[in-house]
Amino acid sequence: MTINKEIQDKTMTLKLAGRLDTTTSPELEEELKASLDGIEDLRMDFSELEYISSAGLRILLAAQKTMNKQGTMSITGVNDTIMEIFEITGFSDILTIK
Amino acid sequence: MNVVRGERNDQRIELFLSGRIDSANAAEVDAEVKRIIDGGEELPVLIDAAELEYMSSAGLRILLRLRKTNEDIHIINTRPEIYDILDMTGFTEMMNVERAYRTVSIEGCEIIGRGSNGTIYRIDHDNIVKVYNHADALEEIQHEREVARLALILGIPTAISYDIVRVGDSYGSVFELLDAKSFSEILADEPERMDWCVKEYVDMLKKIHGTVVPEGDLPDMKERALKWVDFMKDYLPEAAAQKLLDMVDEIPHDDHMIHGDYHTKNLELTDDEVILIDMDTLAVGHPVFELASMYNAFLGYSEYDHEKVKEYQGFDCETSLTFWNKVLRAYLETDDEETVRLIEDKARIIGYTRMIRRSIRRKGLETEDGRAEIDLWTKELLELLDRTDSLFFSKDEIVVKANVKNLDKVIGFIESKLDELECPVKTRIQICVAVEEIFTNIAKYAYLEGEGDAAIRVEGADEGSKVRITFTDSGRPYDPLTVKDPDVTLSAEDRAIGGLGLFMVKKTMDGVEYEYKGGKNVLILTKVL
Repeated sequence: MTINKEIQDKTMTLKLAGRLDTTTSPELEEELKASLDGIEDLRMDFSELEYISSAGLRILLAAQKTMNKQGTMSITGVNDTIMEIFEITGFSDILTIK
Repeated sequence: MNVVRGERNDQRIELFLSGRIDSANAAEVDAEVKRIIDGGEELPVLIDAAELEYMSSAGLRILLRLRKTNEDIHIINTRPEIYDILDMTGFTEMMNVERAYRTVSIEGCEIIGRGSNGTIYRIDHDNIVKVYNHADALEEIQHEREVARLALILGIPTAISYDIVRVGDSYGSVFELLDAKSFSEILADEPERMDWCVKEYVDMLKKIHGTVVPEGDLPDMKERALKWVDFMKDYLPEAAAQKLLDMVDEIPHDDHMIHGDYHTKNLELTDDEVILIDMDTLAVGHPVFELASMYNAFLGYSEYDHEKVKEYQGFDCETSLTFWNKVLRAYLETDDEETVRLIEDKARIIGYTRMIRRSIRRKGLETEDGRAEIDLWTKELLELLDRTDSLFFSKDEIVVKANVKNLDKVIGFIESKLDELECPVKTRIQICVAVEEIFTNIAKYAYLEGEGDAAIRVEGADEGSKVRITFTDSGRPYDPLTVKDPDVTLSAEDRAIGGLGLFMVKKTMDGVEYEYKGGKNVLILTKVL
């Protein structure tokens, strides 16, 4: 997985590519831990993300909880397969998917 | 001398025919046969025709009448002229008729090879005879001939003996002399052809293992292996012997052919093709049995005394080791060291078992070197038994240590198998997610102490309309189907972390089954393709 990070003022955009799974999700967790302070608008671009497993969902859930306290979080470019996973797990109700 | 003599016991009747049987003496012979048979109707009849010179249709009618009372008739030592009569009249179809064996002298003949069960002589310009060491080799020769014929029919190139002959007190089988060089000779003389040899050798091995044998046509290697294991129980600690027995017993039946003694002396290059010889060990069974005997031939037998391989194969132990390593990787189609080692371990367990038994039966315990060798093999065997849980392997299966660091390896394997099954992209992603969830669970929870294996098997089911994925581990019993589904309607704040993975598996797969069987967790996922 690759993570592309852009920060402008209080907006952070993370563009993920590849697979967000057990092996790679610690990278995203680290990235969020390091950069999320002071961010009020977290945008995640999933247009090049192929795959997400429960390990990835956990990180998204934790990020959503943090952002509920300090701002907003949104996800764009979700493919069909990942969308289905969000729906099955009820994440489509928790996350803001654009 | 009487034309017919007879002997009878509870088991069978033997008749000895001699001279001529024609209309002149047929009535007399018929009466004598009846007298011998009297009361022994339905017993098998063995007719020794060694001295029989002529038989007219009157004689044939006696055989027909005999067949009405005693259906099982076996005629042996039939001279060619009598055999022709029986063959033309269709009698060879009705009863088992064996020809008399031609006698061949090997006096002054050049010896061109020596094997464990016989010596090969060149009897003339175009022919060789393999003379068996022991006198009662006839059955063995016939067996080898039959299985070689079977193999040829099933598409395995081999040499078939065209005649069985008497050689002194023993028997031999006659082959056409081929201008051939064995792979052992090629490896010894032309080391630069190593890779070519590996390829041809592995191609033939795959051809053998890809051949399905009709049920009952060849012996089952597993049954033989169970006998070796049974022998070992007096020489191994009880728990180790039991584990060995259980593991051999758990190897599933396999109706594919194995050669049984597949080393480089038994593969020959003739003018235009590679042929397999020494077919007497042909059997059916799982390839692990084949790899075991190959390991023995290249490494096992010479593990204590490295010179042995030179004696036996004609090349040094370094060549042998290189060849084996290349062959194993080419055969298994992987360079992954752990996968190769795990399968090699399985082969070695059967290999050592076989060698230890063989050596003990050949009084290996009575010499110092023999004991040292048996000790070495036993030590290796016990170590291997300690770290191995199954002797089975399959190209459809990957076995790894249950550790999340092996996830990529597992997913890579799953993806390549799904490609073979032409799995659609979306289904493939769902399957990969499911496999990740299950494998991660096993890695995290199955083995509380130390590390154990996880096996993941992928195969097509229902004529390729479904894929079935089987996870097996020897960890603590754990049925994931008993885990309660998470409440997916809760808000982010109220959501607990955990349980999501299994929930996704249940939702995206078409079938999830769990069973605890033979000390193992077995979880099966099915998904419609």
